[in-house]
Amino acid sequence: MNNQEINSTPTIKKESKNKIRVDFERSPLKERLKTKFLSLFFVKKVVWYLFRLILLIGIAYIVLYPFITKIAGSFMSPEDFVDATVRLIPRNFTFDTYIAIFNELNYVEAFINTFMLSASTALIQTFVCCMVGYGLAKFKFKGRKIVFLAVIFSLIVPHRTLQFAMFRLFSQFDLFGIFSFLSGNAHTGIGWIDGILQSIHILPIEGGSFNLLNTFWPLIILSISGLAFKNGLYIFLLRQFFNGVPDELEESAYIDGSGTLKTFISIILPLSIPMMITVFLFAFCWQWTDNFYVSTFFTDSGPTVMTSIVNIPPSLKTSYAGQNIYYSAIRNTAGLMIIAPLIVLYLFCQKFLVQGIERSGIVG
Amino acid sequence: MKGEVIMTSNEVAVGNSVKKRKTKKRKIASLDRRKARSGWFFVLPFVVGFVCIYLPIIISSIQLSFSKITTVVGGGTDITFVGFENYGEALFKDASFVQTLVSGIQNLVFEIPAILIFALFMAVLLNQKMVGRAAFRAIFFIPVVLSTGLIEAIDAANIVTSSMEGGINSGAEQSTADQIVSSIDIQKLFESMQFGSGLAEIVTDIVNNIFDIVNKSGVQMLIFLSGLQSISPAIYESCQIDGATAWETFWKITFPMISPMILVNAVYTIIDSFTSSSNVVMSYIDGAYKTGQALSTAMAWFYFLVVILIVGAVAGIFSAFVFYQKRD
Repeated sequence: MNNQEINSTPTIKKESKNKIRVDFERSPLKERLKTKFLSLFFVKKVVWYLFRLILLIGIAYIVLYPFITKIAGSFMSPEDFVDATVRLIPRNFTFDTYIAIFNELNYVEAFINTFMLSASTALIQTFVCCMVGYGLAKFKFKGRKIVFLAVIFSLIVPHRTLQFAMFRLFSQFDLFGIFSFLSGNAHTGIGWIDGILQSIHILPIEGGSFNLLNTFWPLIILSISGLAFKNGLYIFLLRQFFNGVPDELEESAYIDGSGTLKTFISIILPLSIPMMITVFLFAFCWQWTDNFYVSTFFTDSGPTVMTSIVNIPPSLKTSYAGQNIYYSAIRNTAGLMIIAPLIVLYLFCQKFLVQGIERSGIVG
Repeated sequence: MKGEVIMTSNEVAVGNSVKKRKTKKRKIASLDRRKARSGWFFVLPFVVGFVCIYLPIIISSIQLSFSKITTVVGGGTDITFVGFENYGEALFKDASFVQTLVSGIQNLVFEIPAILIFALFMAVLLNQKMVGRAAFRAIFFIPVVLSTGLIEAIDAANIVTSSMEGGINSGAEQSTADQIVSSIDIQKLFESMQFGSGLAEIVTDIVNNIFDIVNKSGVQMLIFLSGLQSISPAIYESCQIDGATAWETFWKITFPMISPMILVNAVYTIIDSFTSSSNVVMSYIDGAYKTGQALSTAMAWFYFLVVILIVGAVAGIFSAFVFYQKRD
């Protein structure tokens, strides 16, 4: 009512050719502020806003707290750990822990090895999971459901259950005896067949199988076949994502004479870059901090990876009272050095993390 | 003459059209087949890997759980079939396996709903428009990528050493945020509110494990967020116009629309927390692996069977309540 009265008598003045000025009577400032800020609606909004902010900051604190303590502990010298007055800000500031870990535990070598391993497996996994997810989402073929169930099955069975079997498979890697057949190492137990088999020497492989332990091959083979850590989850996420991509895009590409593979590479993949970065980020980071596969496939003589960083450097060994706390601080520092590259990567990729997932529009 | 010609041309035309229809049909079929073939092409890496690598691993693992490994003099190992002996040993002879299993499941009965509720709550909060939303999202997803594997192992090692250390809590490196709320306070609060001590224990457990719960609910939060994003804003708008409060909108719109995601997340959370390396049973099985691989594998398979049963039960119960929006 009030508004109507005010707006009913605006005066319109023409200032210049393209400009007009509208003057109308406004209710006084005090009244306007009153209606705006003294309503229940506004109070509710402010209370909710504050409540939400405090809650979010509190939980963000819980998430960040361990990192803060680790960072604080990494700069402390041994004396600070027995000093009850020191909590988060070190009194005797030192870089010794970092320097010792960097110099004495082969940090650079471990970094390069882990980087090669993580980057190669993550790239392969991203591409393969994209392919499988796309195949499951967009093509209707017999056995599609069975393949999808197999994907879910591979996600559900914990790889720890398969530790020994995986170890055995890759310590004597052989596809259906093909390699041992081609190198003349196959056995059937029947004399004359064995004689023929032994005369085959196409591939010079000793013992008829490869020992793939202490190499990157086990993980790369697992990645190529989409069976590595949590690949079932990636395939699932990507399948949901591709389900949301409209069919018309591909159909128009087909009409223009493009094949399925070309359509996939030149149309679908560029579309799904945020999602691919999300999957790459997961794959890279989870491989980077992995200690299960590395301990399964790499023995002590194997390549140095980040797992071997988590140790006490010889120069920092002490036997004073706060030894345990100090050692755990050293381990934490090693952990920080391990995840430092990941933090950088995360800062670059986190924008895509939510974007990719948001667009996937997972249903059921 | 003329008539005859017309007749034949007609026949030809009819014949042509029949042929055309036939070829058309065949063309559709072949397109389908071609699409099916390229579908197989896309899933080929997985299928080949599954058949050539995964199935042998699974089969040999199951075989292993039914057999005994003896080290032969000279470096090799000998594997003999022993039937259900390993399972019998795990279930009836091993003093603490069943106990660990039961307590592990008991822990998760409270933890999994807590993770689900927390993840849903946070997803709803993070989905609202506000200042600094991007920053909060970035912070909440840090544990997903950073607190896994090695870092988890380091934290676990630190907890062990700090518990060995006993009373000294002076250092700042106590990594878990274990002193957020004193459990005595909550117990007092609950006693004054006339609740049982059992409930107080559960609540203090959850509050003290808040760090674990926040840590573990990252992927779930992502999945919920994506679900929330897929709900059409038009529905919310019409609700608002009809005068529904935020509370009503949540229970009448958001909750049913997101229920498929709750099912997915429930299954994922169960699998994830049952198979994570920090799980009690998993670490027990890991410990057993060092002394006897066959026994450990048998334990793992039995555990897997239990987990599958739980997942099946939960999925069955949940899917009865899941609401699917009709797709057009």
